[in-house]
Amino acid sequence: MTFLHLSFYSAFTLSSLGLAFHRIHLISALLCLESMMLSMYMALSTWPAQTQTTSPSLTPILMLTFSACEAGIGLAILVASSRTHGSDHLHNLNLLQC
Amino acid sequence: MDLPMILNISMLLTLATLLTPLLSPLLVKNYKNSPSTIMQTVKTSFLISLIPMTLFIYLGMENITYFWEWKLATNFKIPLNFKMDQYSLMFFPIALFVTWSILQFTTWYMASEPQITKFFLFLLTFLIAMLTLTIANNMFLLFIGWEGVGIMSFLLIGWWHGRAEANTAALQAVLYNRIGDIGFILCMAWSATTINSWDIQQLSPLNQTPLLPLIGLILAATGKSAQFGLHPWLPAAMEGPTPVSALLHSSTMVVAGIFLLIRTHPMLHSNPTALTLCLCLGALSTLFAATCALTQNDIKKIIAFSTSSQLGLMMVTIGLDLPQLAFLHISTHAFFKAMLFLCSGSIIHNLNGEQDIRKMGGLQKTLPTTTSCLTIGNLALMGTPFLAGFYSKDLIIESMNTSYLNTWALSLTLLATSFTATYSIRMSLLVQTGFTRTTPTILINENNPAITNPITRLALGSITAGLLITTYILPTKTPPMTMPTTTKTTAIIITLLGILLALELSKMTHTLIKPKQNPLLNFSSTLGYFNPLTHRLSSTQLLTTGQKIASHLIDLSWYKKMGPEGLATLQLKAAKISTTLHTGLIKTYLMSFALSILIILISSTQ
Repeated sequence: MTFLHLSFYSAFTLSSLGLAFHRIHLISALLCLESMMLSMYMALSTWPAQTQTTSPSLTPILMLTFSACEAGIGLAILVASSRTHGSDHLHNLNLLQC
Repeated sequence: MDLPMILNISMLLTLATLLTPLLSPLLVKNYKNSPSTIMQTVKTSFLISLIPMTLFIYLGMENITYFWEWKLATNFKIPLNFKMDQYSLMFFPIALFVTWSILQFTTWYMASEPQITKFFLFLLTFLIAMLTLTIANNMFLLFIGWEGVGIMSFLLIGWWHGRAEANTAALQAVLYNRIGDIGFILCMAWSATTINSWDIQQLSPLNQTPLLPLIGLILAATGKSAQFGLHPWLPAAMEGPTPVSALLHSSTMVVAGIFLLIRTHPMLHSNPTALTLCLCLGALSTLFAATCALTQNDIKKIIAFSTSSQLGLMMVTIGLDLPQLAFLHISTHAFFKAMLFLCSGSIIHNLNGEQDIRKMGGLQKTLPTTTSCLTIGNLALMGTPFLAGFYSKDLIIESMNTSYLNTWALSLTLLATSFTATYSIRMSLLVQTGFTRTTPTILINENNPAITNPITRLALGSITAGLLITTYILPTKTPPMTMPTTTKTTAIIITLLGILLALELSKMTHTLIKPKQNPLLNFSSTLGYFNPLTHRLSSTQLLTTGQKIASHLIDLSWYKKMGPEGLATLQLKAAKISTTLHTGLIKTYLMSFALSILIILISSTQ
């Protein structure tokens, strides 16, 4: 694959691994989510440019919208957690633990 | 003088006379049977049965009577069919004579029995069943007699039903007879489906009888006549009173199997496989029984094994295709065997219940009549020339030696003949001669005519019966007349060898050497290990198979392990493993998510 594609894939993979293996803070997971979103945005943007098709030009905008919603929800969870428990440590989210 | 009618009427009168003690209490008011009346009935019956026998001997008159028919189905009729031929006409007087003597003896033997009349009635019922068996011409009537003797045997062996061994012995007799009955019913079923009749005459024109009904008949004879394989009930049947042993298990019931084979002989004649089977089975039975008799110490058991051995010899004769000779042996055997049992009964009662020959001795001086007749009986059994047993036994051995047959069967029979001499002489020596080994507090008295008359009568029969029967009844097949001297005297030579062996061994018992155990002694005294092996093995195997199929396979396996409970166990196992992973923490979930993505990626690129 080209250098461009490598950068997208590696950014996405590293961010998803970071999402999976975050340990202490919730915010690191959210940051990883943002970086995943960023790499997907860049991929979706360069795709119509490479294939010279104009129809999918709208897709990055759609993705941005949804990611903005998702980031908002993530931040809301962060704020709620910090307000109830005083910090955003992950071990506070243990209501479902058996 | 309408002689066929006289033949018919006298035979039927014989049977009717025997029925009177059973029917009179129902017909006459306040009629009470008593032992002496029943004995007189049998004596009268014997005298009447001499008439048809005389008619047969002098005129060769035979008869078949059809009575009433039982219309079972439209094409299958079962008549009441009596066949009065050589076998039944000769058997009736002999059986009635022996029974009369035994009943006279029983009036003394069972005198202290409170239910003596019932005992006599049982014996009478048995006799009627046996005579029905003898005179039957179709297999249905034979089967009625067959089952009748089986049931009476059960009731009579277990006469002292308070004794556990007597009950076990009676049960053993019934079970082994039942296995033989399966063979009988197989033959009946085959003939009903193939020939559409149960008449024995209709079975003879077949050129080559298939093996299946013959196997059934041989199985029936094995069960009833205690051949090897179904033999343990005969020694165990000695638990019954001595008159029962004398009547049933020596003269009459146990020969019923051989009698069946004699009756259906035309079927056997054409099938060499069946004849060889009879021959080998008979040879094996006779040797096995003779081996077991060598180390027995109970006088009744020795005589029981002797009976078993002679039955094997009769089976050998059937295998040689000589039914008339087998019947001759049945007739002569009845006399001396019944007498041997009656002598042993007299000895046992006089010694106050002692049955072990190691505790008898020197009885020749105190019981002269009994011991003389015991000696005569033993000599007749061994085939001493010109006593009763000689005419049948010597002829059998001669026929065996001069015919083309299996050498193994021949050698076994000859060995068994010498063993017969050995155990008979051993019994005589230990019982009659030497010093007394009984307790000194017994009262020996044999001066009762109820003891001496039957025994001497049967002794007379043992001496003369062979001569009389062979003089008056001509054989249908010519016996072998020419053979080398060694072959002719084979029976006597091996009998003498057996006697010498017994005399030599008895000298050993006078010296005080401690007896050592060796495998042959163990084999002989435990009756060939047959009883514990089969009785325990077969029942445990049957029961464990039943348990495996019913309980383990069906209940446990299908309904539990592989059915609903197995499913539940499987689910439970899976749930238990995955419970540790389902912790509710996001970290573990995300980690497993990454792991699965990794696995998918790796597997998709390859």
